[in-house]
Amino acid sequence: MAEIVFEKVGKSFGSTKVIENLDLTIEDGKFTVLVGSSGCGKTTLLRMIAGIGPATSGRILMDGKDITHQPPEKRDIAMVFQNYAIYPTMSVRENIEFGLKNKKVPKEERDRRIAEYAEIVGMTPYLDRKPSDLSGGQRQRIALARAMVKKPSVFLMDEPLSNLDAKLRAAMRVELIELQRRLGTTFVYVTHDQIEAMSMADTIVLMEKGEIQQIGSPEEIYHEPANIFSAQFIGTPPMNVLPMEDGIRFGVRPESIDMEHQRVDGMALYRKGHIITREMLGAEMQYKVRLSDGTTIMVRSEENDRSDLQEDSDVWIMARASRIHFFDKDGKHIGHGGPDSLLAKLGGMNE
Amino acid sequence: MTSLSSFTTEQVRELKRIKRRSWLMSYAMILPAILFLLAFVIYPTVSMFIMSLYYGNAMNPYKKFKGLANYNVRPDFWVALRNTAAYTGMALVLVMVLSILFAQWMYKSRKLNNVAQTVFFTPHLVAGVSAGFIWSWLMSSQPYGLFNTVFNALGFSTVRWLDDSSTAMFSIVLMNTWKNVGYYCLIIMSAMKSIPTEIYESARLDGSSSIKTFFKITIPMISPQLFFLLITITTGSFKVFDSVRIMTNGGPGDATRVLSMYIYDYAFERNNTLGYACAAGILMMLLMVAVTVFDFGFVEKKVHYQ
Ligand SMILES: Nc1ncnc2c1ncn2[C@@H]1O[C@H](COP(=O)(O)OP(=O)(O)OP(=O)(O)O)[C@@H](O)[C@H]1O
Ligand SMILES: [Mg+2]
Repeated sequence: MAEIVFEKVGKSFGSTKVIENLDLTIEDGKFTVLVGSSGCGKTTLLRMIAGIGPATSGRILMDGKDITHQPPEKRDIAMVFQNYAIYPTMSVRENIEFGLKNKKVPKEERDRRIAEYAEIVGMTPYLDRKPSDLSGGQRQRIALARAMVKKPSVFLMDEPLSNLDAKLRAAMRVELIELQRRLGTTFVYVTHDQIEAMSMADTIVLMEKGEIQQIGSPEEIYHEPANIFSAQFIGTPPMNVLPMEDGIRFGVRPESIDMEHQRVDGMALYRKGHIITREMLGAEMQYKVRLSDGTTIMVRSEENDRSDLQEDSDVWIMARASRIHFFDKDGKHIGHGGPDSLLAKLGGMNE
Repeated sequence: MTSLSSFTTEQVRELKRIKRRSWLMSYAMILPAILFLLAFVIYPTVSMFIMSLYYGNAMNPYKKFKGLANYNVRPDFWVALRNTAAYTGMALVLVMVLSILFAQWMYKSRKLNNVAQTVFFTPHLVAGVSAGFIWSWLMSSQPYGLFNTVFNALGFSTVRWLDDSSTAMFSIVLMNTWKNVGYYCLIIMSAMKSIPTEIYESARLDGSSSIKTFFKITIPMISPQLFFLLITITTGSFKVFDSVRIMTNGGPGDATRVLSMYIYDYAFERNNTLGYACAAGILMMLLMVAVTVFDFGFVEKKVHYQ
């Protein structure tokens, strides 16, 4: 159980600054997900917590204690590496057991825990195999078991599910959430998959180019994006962002758009459009629509049996006031569903 | 698929010709290697075996047929064998341990690495005979011996490196270690460099001490290279000759008379004992085969290949 605080932390490799002046509090006992595109510094951040890639400036505190320069073995931390980093010369059992042996956990206790966690990750039949005989997904599961079995107070995971197939990934996702709830351990989980982030996190930390864009619950990130980056990172397809006057932009999510042949009253946004493509995604439909000014937007609808909305048909694109976000010229979020002055301008652009 | 029957007989003949040609071609490709093997390995081995059945000398090896009588070795053979074993054992331990330690020390730092690598590797380029000469001068117990000059200056008494039967063999081992360790160290170092750093980081997070990490992770991960060292050092040491010939010529007494010195002695320095020398050569070869088979049969099981 531990709270981790970053104070003005910077990290550079030689002359390249990857992270500068970062402040972040990772709450005790919460499932925190670091999400961001490739190369934004997620792994770098985890390595600073683990102590294997120490910060070059600032302080990192664990439960109020400065651990900036504490060696990794003194921190009660387990990490699942992005490339697994399992010990290739040891069997699955030995891999899982290694940390316990070093901690001088008695043999009986070790065997009990190995059995327990091997079962959780579904590796029981493979305990005596060598990692070279296993698939990428199986190796990842060893790495998970090896970290979990130590019962650390902070659990760092660097894209631990990226190599699993969809079904196993969904199962492991649930397993990890349950595990976190059961243990109440601080989890820091790195992913670039926004769906994983949304479904697992208590708190999402959204990063880009070494900077934190937004910290919040999945609901906050979705409904109150701090800026355009945040708004467009979460959601597939991303939020449609269109220009207004004075550099102000408005955004509306594809799933918040109503699309009809007839104009419906009571909306804030009205645009005429022309359906270019129509994709059936199973439960949902996805359309690409060209507006009369030439810009294209994406529309997503749960009505998957609308045979009248075909490619090449003319439609009205509409959205309720509450679903419309405004961003200033720096891309920062002004608000959604308001202010009225901006909503009015939106209406002014009706045809 | 087109079956053979859909071709005309003319085409079938052509196909067969192509097949025959490619078959001939593949043998032609390995022919040089086979010829080399025949001329430089098989033929000498067979003729050595035949010579070992005779009484004779280098001018006239086949004076009289003696059957397997030459294989009834004399007592001094066992002395030579024991010396060879001692040399091999010492060289194996010393070279292995030192190359691992140096590699472990050097592989992390690039600067140290480049300098040290050159320093360690240069001796490997020196001809064995020259190295022997240099070292017999360095180790000499005469007033001009450099080691002893330094020792005396530091207040230690003279060490009679090559002139004392209890230190002579070790002195030769020392010289050959100096000569070879850089080469083996390079092999070990490149193996160490190929171990992903995350594995070490993971070990640290697992609370493993550096000693434990070394024995539980580094050593197993470089075991293929260690096995290579085991085979090459063992077989190389078994055949040690030039340094012994230069530095002690088998002495003092018989203290450094190793198998190859022994064979040389019986083949060229005595009368009509060529057959006996050949028999000793065959025995030495069989012994080497036996040791290598043992290595592959038992030791290799412990080797971890990626
Ligand atoms: N050892 C290093 N030396 C120099 N630059 C590095 C080093 N490690 C990382 N970087 C740089 O730091 C930046 C952040 O890297 P990091 O590995 O933290 O990204 P990431 O968010 O984990 O990306 P991914 O999702 O691809 O794993 C990258 O631009 C990378 O090039
Ligand atoms: Mg990463």
